Amino acid sequence: MAHKTEIGVREQRVTQKTLHSVDETLRLPAVTPPVTYPIETLVPQVRQQTPAVGQRVTRPDGRLHGLGQTRYIDDLAFPGMLYAKIKRAGIASARIKRIDTREAEAMPGVMAVLTGREIPVNSFGPSLKDQPVLADDRVFHAGDGVAAVAAVTEQIALEALDKIKVEYEPLPAVFDPLEALKDDAHKVHAPNSNIYATKVIKKGDIDKGFAASDHIFEGSFRTQMVEHVPLEPHAAIAVWDPNGRVTIHSTLGRITLGRADISRTLKLPLNRIRIIATIVGGNFGGKNEITQEPVLALLSKKTGRPVKGVFTRTEEFIATTTRHPIIMDYKTGVTKDGRILARKVRLVLDGGAYCSWSETTLGKACILSAGPYKIDNLLAEAFVVYTNKTMTGAMRGFGAPQVCFAYESHMDDIAAALDLDPLDIRLLNAFEEGSPSPTGQVLQSVAVKDSLLQAAQRFGWKEARK
Amino acid sequence: MADVTVKVNGKLRTASVPPETTLLQLLRDHFNLTGAKLGCDVGDCGACTVIVDGKPVNACLMLVGQADGRDVLTIEGLATRDQLHPLQKAFEDHASLQCGFCGPGIILSAKALLDEVPNPTVPEIRDALSGNLCRCTGYTKMIEAIQAAARVLREEPAEPNA
Repeated sequence: MAHKTEIGVREQRVTQKTLHSVDETLRLPAVTPPVTYPIETLVPQVRQQTPAVGQRVTRPDGRLHGLGQTRYIDDLAFPGMLYAKIKRAGIASARIKRIDTREAEAMPGVMAVLTGREIPVNSFGPSLKDQPVLADDRVFHAGDGVAAVAAVTEQIALEALDKIKVEYEPLPAVFDPLEALKDDAHKVHAPNSNIYATKVIKKGDIDKGFAASDHIFEGSFRTQMVEHVPLEPHAAIAVWDPNGRVTIHSTLGRITLGRADISRTLKLPLNRIRIIATIVGGNFGGKNEITQEPVLALLSKKTGRPVKGVFTRTEEFIATTTRHPIIMDYKTGVTKDGRILARKVRLVLDGGAYCSWSETTLGKACILSAGPYKIDNLLAEAFVVYTNKTMTGAMRGFGAPQVCFAYESHMDDIAAALDLDPLDIRLLNAFEEGSPSPTGQVLQSVAVKDSLLQAAQRFGWKEARK
Repeated sequence: MADVTVKVNGKLRTASVPPETTLLQLLRDHFNLTGAKLGCDVGDCGACTVIVDGKPVNACLMLVGQADGRDVLTIEGLATRDQLHPLQKAFEDHASLQCGFCGPGIILSAKALLDEVPNPTVPEIRDALSGNLCRCTGYTKMIEAIQAAARVLREEPAEPNA
C-alpha cells in the first residue's frame, strides 16, 4: 500500500511539474523583448501606383447584400413597435398660431402626438444651432415638421396627421439668394442678417493684375439644388428604456456628432444615449446630421414603446439637406497668350432655411473657386445666405463640383475667345510642383499637367480637333 | 380584412390583412422577408422588385388582392442552402453592389431577363434594369456581372433553384 502511495505521489509531482512548465510556456514575459524583425512600412512613392490601385477587390458584405440578408434600419422590428409620421408645414414662412392635436390623439391606434413645444431644447445643427427639431413658433421652410404622431400602424399615423389642425399666420418669405443678400430683404431668422457666413481670400493685388491684362473676361454661372436621393430613406428606431436611457438605431452617418445633437435636444447626458448605426443604404452626405431621431426618442418616452420612423421619398426631397445652389461670378484678366494675371470670384451660396454644413461648404467652395491654376492676384469672396427653402448641407465634394463647373466653363470661354486650344490654356496656367494654393499652401505631388496630357493622349484630344 | 394565399418561394403562405396592404408590406411585415426594400413607394426606384409569375413587378404597387393565388419569388428564394444563384455569385465577384439597397431588386430584374433571354446584349440588360435605380451608380459592374452569370447559366442549363 505504502509503495503504491509513493508512486502515486511521484506521479502527482511529475504531473504538477509538467503542468507548471506548460503554464510557463503559455505565460507572457513580464517585459516583452524588443522587436528584432525589421519593420518596413509601405510608403507609396509619389506618382507610383499603390498596391490597392488597379486591383479588383470585392466587398466583405457583398454576399449578404446579394442575398437580401443585410439588415437596414427599416428591416428591423421590435416587439410592440409603433410607427411615427411627421406632419410637414407646407408653407414656406409663417407663424404658428395654434396647433390642435385633440382629434388625432382621440383616434384609435394613435398612441402619442408630439409638437415642437414639447422638445426640451428645440435647436440643433452641426455648426450653428439654428434648426428646430419640430417647428414650434415659426416655420422657416415648407418641409419643416410641425407635429409628429406615433401609432400602431403607419396607415393610422398618416391618417392622424390629417386630423392635426395647424393655424398659420403667413409671413413674408425670400426665395432668391441674391434677393436675400439685399439690406431690405425679408430676414429669415430676424433680427439676424441673412448672410450667416462669409469667406474672403485675398492674394496679390487684383487691380494691378487687371490693369496689366490684355483681355478681361467675365462670366456668371449658376448651379441648381440637388438632392442626394439615397435609395434607402432616412430611417430610425428609438427605444427609451425605463432606466431613462435611449437607444437609437439610425441611418446616421456621423454617430458622435449626432449623439451630441440628440443629447442637446433631449437635454439628456451623453452617456444615456446609445446610437446603433448599422449599414446605410446610401448616404452621399445627406445622412450626416440628425433628422427625426429626437422626435422618435420623445415619442418612445411618451408611449413606453419602441418607435420607428421612415421618411417618405417626398420627405427626402423637402425635409432633408440638399446640395447648395451657387451663383458664381467670375472676372479674369489674361495676357494675349492666355496666361491668367488676375481673377475675381464672387460666390453666393443658397443656404436654405438652416445652416447645416454650409460653413464647411462655403470654405471649400471658396478655397477651390480659383481652380488648379497659378494666379498671383486673386480675390475670392463667398457668402452663404438664408432663404425660405429646404436647407442645404453636405453633399459629396462640399461645394467643389459647383465651382469646378464654373471655373472650367470660364476657362473654356476664355480659350474660345482667344482662339486657343482649351488644353493649351490649361497647361499654360495649371499648378506645378511647389505652386502655392490660393490660401498659400505649398502643393506637393502635383500631377495636373501629367494627368491632362495623359488623358488627352488616351482619348485622342489632338486628333479629334483636327 | 382580406384573406390571401400566395406561393412565396415555392411555399404556399396565407395571411389575413387589410385590403389596402401592398404585396411589399405583406412580404416584409407579415412574412418577414425583408429582402425587397421600400425605396420610393411609387414604383420608380425598383428596390421592391420581386418576380410574380415569371415577371418582375414593383411590389410596392401591387395590392395583396392582385397577388392572391400567384407565384412570387423574392431574393430569399434565389439561393439554396448550399449554393448561391449564379447571379448572386457574379454580383459578389464583380463587387457590383456598394450600399446594396438596390441589390435584391436588380438581381431579380436580371433573373427575370435571363429566364427569357439566355444570352442578352448590353442594351437588353440595360432595358431590363431600366426600372431599377442605383444611386451609388454601379451599373457598369452590374452589367458585367449579369453577362458573367448568363455565361454560367448557359453552360449549366440546369438551374439550381429552377
